Amino acid sequence: MSLTARERKKLAVGLAFIGPNIAGFLIFILFPLVFSLAMAFTNWDLRLHNIFKGNDVRFVGLENFVRLFREPDFFQYLGNTLFLMMAIPFSVAGSLFAAILLSQDLRGGDRRVWGGVLACAGLVVGTGALVMVGAKVTAMLLLVGGVAGIVLIGGVVGGRTVHRTLFYFPHFTAGVATFLLWKKLYSPHTGPVNHALRPILTQFAGLVTRLPVGSVRALALFCAALSAAVVLFGVRQLRRGWRDGEIGGLSIALGSVLLFAPVVAWPCCGGSAGAGWVVVATAVVAGGMLWVGIAKPRDFTCTLDRGLGHGLIVCGALMVVQFALLGLGNVFTDLPAMSADGLNPPEWLTQYSWAKPSIMIMGFWAAIGSNNMLLYLAGLSNIPVELYEAADIDGASRVQRFWNVTWPQLAPVTFFILVMAVIHGLQGGFEMARTMTRGGPAGSTTTLSYYVYTQGFETGRLGYASAVAWTLFALVFLVTLFNWKFGNRYTND
Amino acid sequence: MRKLFCICGLLLLCAGVGTYLTQPERQTAVPVIYWVIDPAPARGQQIALFHRWLIKNGHGAEYVLRTPQDVAAFRAEKWSPALVKAITDENPGSDAIWQGEASPAALPLIIRAPGVEMRLDSASNDLNKKLVQGISGVAGDVIEGYGGGKQMQYLAAGGMLADVTESAQAYGFGPDKTYPALAPALFYDGRQYAFPRNPAQVLYWVNKGTFKEYGQPLPPSRWTIEEFEQCGKAFVAAANPAGERRTVFFADRLMMVELRRSLGLSVFNETLTQCTLDDPRNARAMALMHKWTYEDHILPSAADKASFDTEGGWGGQSFQLFKSGRYAMFASGRWALMLFRKFGAMQLAVVEPPHGGMPNTVLSGGQSTVYRASKHRKYAELFLAYMAGEDYNMQIVRDGDALPPNPIYTETELFRHPPDYPNEWGCHEGYANAAKTIATVQSFSPFVLPVVVERYDTMAQDDVMNDRATPEEAGVRASERINEEIGLTLRESDVLRRRYEELCTTQEQIEELRAAGKPVPVALITNPFHQRYYREQGWLADEE
Repeated sequence: MSLTARERKKLAVGLAFIGPNIAGFLIFILFPLVFSLAMAFTNWDLRLHNIFKGNDVRFVGLENFVRLFREPDFFQYLGNTLFLMMAIPFSVAGSLFAAILLSQDLRGGDRRVWGGVLACAGLVVGTGALVMVGAKVTAMLLLVGGVAGIVLIGGVVGGRTVHRTLFYFPHFTAGVATFLLWKKLYSPHTGPVNHALRPILTQFAGLVTRLPVGSVRALALFCAALSAAVVLFGVRQLRRGWRDGEIGGLSIALGSVLLFAPVVAWPCCGGSAGAGWVVVATAVVAGGMLWVGIAKPRDFTCTLDRGLGHGLIVCGALMVVQFALLGLGNVFTDLPAMSADGLNPPEWLTQYSWAKPSIMIMGFWAAIGSNNMLLYLAGLSNIPVELYEAADIDGASRVQRFWNVTWPQLAPVTFFILVMAVIHGLQGGFEMARTMTRGGPAGSTTTLSYYVYTQGFETGRLGYASAVAWTLFALVFLVTLFNWKFGNRYTND
Repeated sequence: MRKLFCICGLLLLCAGVGTYLTQPERQTAVPVIYWVIDPAPARGQQIALFHRWLIKNGHGAEYVLRTPQDVAAFRAEKWSPALVKAITDENPGSDAIWQGEASPAALPLIIRAPGVEMRLDSASNDLNKKLVQGISGVAGDVIEGYGGGKQMQYLAAGGMLADVTESAQAYGFGPDKTYPALAPALFYDGRQYAFPRNPAQVLYWVNKGTFKEYGQPLPPSRWTIEEFEQCGKAFVAAANPAGERRTVFFADRLMMVELRRSLGLSVFNETLTQCTLDDPRNARAMALMHKWTYEDHILPSAADKASFDTEGGWGGQSFQLFKSGRYAMFASGRWALMLFRKFGAMQLAVVEPPHGGMPNTVLSGGQSTVYRASKHRKYAELFLAYMAGEDYNMQIVRDGDALPPNPIYTETELFRHPPDYPNEWGCHEGYANAAKTIATVQSFSPFVLPVVVERYDTMAQDDVMNDRATPEEAGVRASERINEEIGLTLRESDVLRRRYEELCTTQEQIEELRAAGKPVPVALITNPFHQRYYREQGWLADEE
């Protein structure tokens, strides 16, 4: 089909307009992408292959990938990356919570709001008075009280726009500046975080030492019992789904693996003997219940992979809760002995066991006021009011309104946020490692992206680093594919 | 829309042309060379002296100004303020030119100007930037390598540094112009690539006032591990009230490399073919580090250090803490004086790190190298020659920026007894004597990158300090990882593999001789630490 002169001219103009963009994309994105894929199969090394050395780049096939999977550090760094991603559910929940709060208009007039403002003002004044009479109150408490008061008062006076701006403010700051700020906040002896925690922990340790040891350790049993309840709840959900034909065999199998993983891992985690017996009993009872439930014939059948997304999300969340409860139980078991020597705040970034949680806490703070919050705000504003009215007519409580109206209506937004969070989570961690910890201590904060950097630029092995990067891409791609296939179905359901 | 697009395109084009025309290289009368280094306060003076040195030694151009028109034309050349100052300082009577007041009676004037202008490029001082810029063909002309040869080895392995062996002989900045112990660190694969800018070694600065405050005797200038521990325990017990959090420490850190070496252990074996961190002596050193930190509390923990060292690098908070008495001793080079002098007249002494049999220090510091693709390589090499000369060395002596590269200047009265700082007398000799008698350079193997060795060594120490592994386990793991990296390097390079095999044969010879109790010829030993260690033990067959 030949073009007329006028059409050719229009085409030329259009191409001229998008030309720079296309050229930029080709030069700076597509070419490096394809080039790095090719280099992943070579022995490209900056020290050997550059304008000064005459060595040829050699095709090595899958050698880089084989080496990668034999590298013990790779699995540690993959584990670090996956561990840091455990903060995603909390970050999503935090941004949802912030969005719900910010969708309330607190502009003056509401008695409860004014009551809150007065309480905050009282807190600040009271704290100041305590300081004046010589009580040992740290500066952090004053700061927290003051900031809380300013935020609340600002919202009352200026409306929710003030709150939304303040919440979104951290997102404006450059990443590195934020990391350096947090590094100072986390400073073990001079940082404000530990400065605030220290007197609280000292008082708490004193309280614990005054209590009978048995009563504190009984809390470990309580946590184990709660964990047992969580397992039983999960088993009940699986049985019900199986019976109603909402989940298939694959969902049951994978869901069970997640649900019982903490039980299986329990012997490695320490803890008291009593809690151990509770866990063992739980495993036996819950396992028996599940077996009985799925052995019975059911009224409705379904495909093998039906409800896989739902099963994994629910059982995964329950697994995280179980680990948290069992971990808390361990703390209660050791708490009397620890308190006898006085409880010290953690050393955060300089302590192996606390370095990753430190980064997760920082990530949680950043997520609350992030773009996810904006997405949820937009999602909340799109929920039809009639649904809430109908729920009110039916006498639904606030929790029921949230669980049956708000949460399902936000499912598409949540799905998108989770997909993006998983992608960023797998790719992320580089800036924090580079700025705050240099990947330490002892490699505890080295993520896959930081590993790519160290291999590429500290050793010069760009071929190997490209292989690591493309392996990471494959992992992200598979997880995203999984999310789209099963998460999308879950959202639509 | 079309017009807007065209206007934007034209504007961008003009901006590009304008940027090109206003490039610094086009705003000067002479070529410009760049020195890629940190922006310490002394750099300006060092560069100014270099400009003057170029004039004094005839490395520039001579301008004969016969008429006022010549003077005007000379003044109209794009002389930067730095060059104007150098020209004025080295050409008496030339200052009138710049004010346009040169009288005809003074003409003709012969003005000598440097052949090149040097400028600082601190933005590119990161190692990765140097490497990427270097292999891309756009690095600075003089590139600083830190870590006593560590960075130089890495950059030289990439082929981006100029081999200056012949130039060093011609211009006079060969290894004979610096400390004998430092010579191995200037070479890669048998060729010279660097000259030291400020040889440094780490000793402990002692704050005499802090010791006096807590009624503790001053430490001896040379002491054993046991003496160090005894003094340290007594000090921290006296300085920290019982039951309260410790805020005063005996020293800011442990010099791990020196401690290991004092026990007779290097990171590599004699021929640099195998990592030896699995040796029990390394485990002992790491165990001591753990004990002194978490049991005896002589040294601050990582948490303490993180709280203190909230600003790293030049001018970090550690200096303030040493001054305020939180650290009784502070491990640093002579270059710490550049900051100490701002604090006022502190009562100072220096002591060596504690030893477990062989007193030693590690001679490192910055090294200046020349970029292989420099457009003005001759002048870049002349900069290295300037560093071997009196002007530069005396500037280092005056400023206290580590040691002068040429050891003869440590014999000067100005070095030993700076008249403005009598509180430092006695300290300078400590550094100079250690550099000349007990110092050796770090051991770099051509088969594994120093940065990789450092990473695994640091990980092992982190594992021990975080109670994740015993010292023995951590040492074995580090050694295995480093040896794996050596294996990887050998698979990538046939040349290195052949060399490795030759050195392995040599290593076997050494081990046979040692097993038989026979002396070992020094020519067989590649590791500079082992050369000295064998000499100390009397195991060498011959001395050069």
